[in-house]
Amino acid sequence: MTAAGKILVVDDDRDLVAAIKLVLEQRGFAVVGAFDAKSGLALAEAERPDLILLDVMMPSATEGFHFVWELRRRPDPYFVEVPVIIVSAIHGQTELRFYPDASDGTYKSGEFLPVQGFIDKPLDPEELIARVTRELELARRR
Amino acid sequence: MIDLPKTGPPPGLASAAAELEALLGWLIRLRWVAVVGVACFFEVARRVFPVTLALAPLYGTLVALAACNALWMTVLRRLEQPHGEGTARWVRALGRLVAPPVLEQAGADRATRDAALFANLQIAVDLVLLAALLHFAGGIENPFIVFFVFHVIIAAMLLSRLATYVHATLGLLLVSAVAFAEVSGVLRHWPLGGTWGPEGYRDVPLVSAQLFVLGAMLYLSAYMGTTIAGRMRRREHDNIVLSHELANKAEILERICNRLEESEEARSRYIRKVAHELRGPLGTIQTALKVVLSDILPPSARDMVGRAERRSGELAQVTQDLLALSRARDVAAEKALRAVPIAALVRELVEEQRPVATRADVTLELETSEPAREFRADPQGVEQLVRNLVANAIRYTPRGGRVTVRLAEVPAGVRLEVADTGIGIPEEALPHLFEEFYRADNARELAPDGSGLGLAIVEAVAGQHGGYVTVASELGRGTTFIVELPLEPVA
Repeated sequence: MTAAGKILVVDDDRDLVAAIKLVLEQRGFAVVGAFDAKSGLALAEAERPDLILLDVMMPSATEGFHFVWELRRRPDPYFVEVPVIIVSAIHGQTELRFYPDASDGTYKSGEFLPVQGFIDKPLDPEELIARVTRELELARRR
Repeated sequence: MIDLPKTGPPPGLASAAAELEALLGWLIRLRWVAVVGVACFFEVARRVFPVTLALAPLYGTLVALAACNALWMTVLRRLEQPHGEGTARWVRALGRLVAPPVLEQAGADRATRDAALFANLQIAVDLVLLAALLHFAGGIENPFIVFFVFHVIIAAMLLSRLATYVHATLGLLLVSAVAFAEVSGVLRHWPLGGTWGPEGYRDVPLVSAQLFVLGAMLYLSAYMGTTIAGRMRRREHDNIVLSHELANKAEILERICNRLEESEEARSRYIRKVAHELRGPLGTIQTALKVVLSDILPPSARDMVGRAERRSGELAQVTQDLLALSRARDVAAEKALRAVPIAALVRELVEEQRPVATRADVTLELETSEPAREFRADPQGVEQLVRNLVANAIRYTPRGGRVTVRLAEVPAGVRLEVADTGIGIPEEALPHLFEEFYRADNARELAPDGSGLGLAIVEAVAGQHGGYVTVASELGRGTTFIVELPLEPVA
């Protein structure tokens, strides 16, 4: 059976990675996990996942942001297009807003991160699956 | 430990020299008036009264007085300069000649000693010149002999008790010397031609009686003058010491206040860190429990895991609220001010709560005056404030009730009113309402979960914006919270 999709989970919380892995694997997704930005980027290159779930609050505070900027800078169009969803509780605490596109000019620099969206922690399994499925659908249509 | 301010001499006492110098300035001005006044008096007296005045020596003495005064003026000007060392030295040398024992006042600083020396010198020279004036105008016969009293009074005001008595004695000695020199013929008598008669000045008992009266007057004046001046000085000194102590105390209080503020900030930072640290693991626990719950479980396990999941949710809410509270209390959050479309934000938050209200069968209304302007505010703080008030109102309102949110622009800024027809707040709970972790009994009964931080956050956010919260409530009838935020509209 072909996997419903390959998901890369990047989070320094190993337990959370395990929980996400359990949920997604039950629904037929193939899941690879990384616990820091560096190995996450390496895995992204090696595995070329269909979607990345990313935590921003990794050891060095904004490591997740740098992960995104690193990823999107690569010349291979795959890295520009692969959907990234931020999984974080940061949304309620900062000015940061996560939107797929800043071209409408509504957002000041620093407020915008080139990702497809965010899911608030704590994660609701149903919401996670719904969100992942939808983003994969959208990506396939592009 | 609080660092105490270093105790030095009270600031008022340190300027004793300056005060003495000011008085000396006054004395010099007074002397100019005296010179002119005496000259005028000579002119009037020789025309009006039946007296003969030896004008040449009298005017000579007046000129000497004027010359001395001019010199004093120069010296005073040099003394007033902060580094008038050279002048001070020769003034000191002169002063030592006049009244050596008076000069070493224990504890007085050098500038004060110099000024006191200068005052002694002036008064001594005045006494000599006054004696000369008297001598040329009838000596012991002259009724103006009582004018020596003025110098004693001036000495009492300016100088020490001892110096005052020394000047009183000097005055009496000078007059006595003149009188007896005239009696014995050592000095020529310049008759005034008044009531004393031509040989009166040789009448030793009469002269002695006159001198006795003068001496009694001088010493009594010295006594009274120094006593009154002493009391006044003591009182002034007490006042200065007292005001200095008060200033010290005020400084200590200010330091304590600062220290308290600092520790409050440290506490806030600490809470923030702890809450932040708790949040990560808590989120993971919640997620893990949710994952288990999403699986097929035997009913007993589902129940237990469900309980654990709910309780971990409560804990997560507490950490979330603690973060919000410490954020609102953090002074640095003032820097988070930006343009916020308050009306739109309130509308959004009311809509966010509408599903909750619908589930609870509570009517939720929003009344807001349009057009909406933007105000400078901390968006996160205001969001917390509005959400907490509206969610509270819905939570504590029984089915069929009504929650009304009113937003209005007032001259001072923005006024938000959240009124409900809920269970109300018991009167004894009102004073504690905004305390951290406080929950009224009837609130606990109705909704067992709740961090007890919501209203503390509301108050902290209002305070952060320089505003305030008031509450009016009637048990069983409802509650109205009013928040006024003095926000600045964005042009």
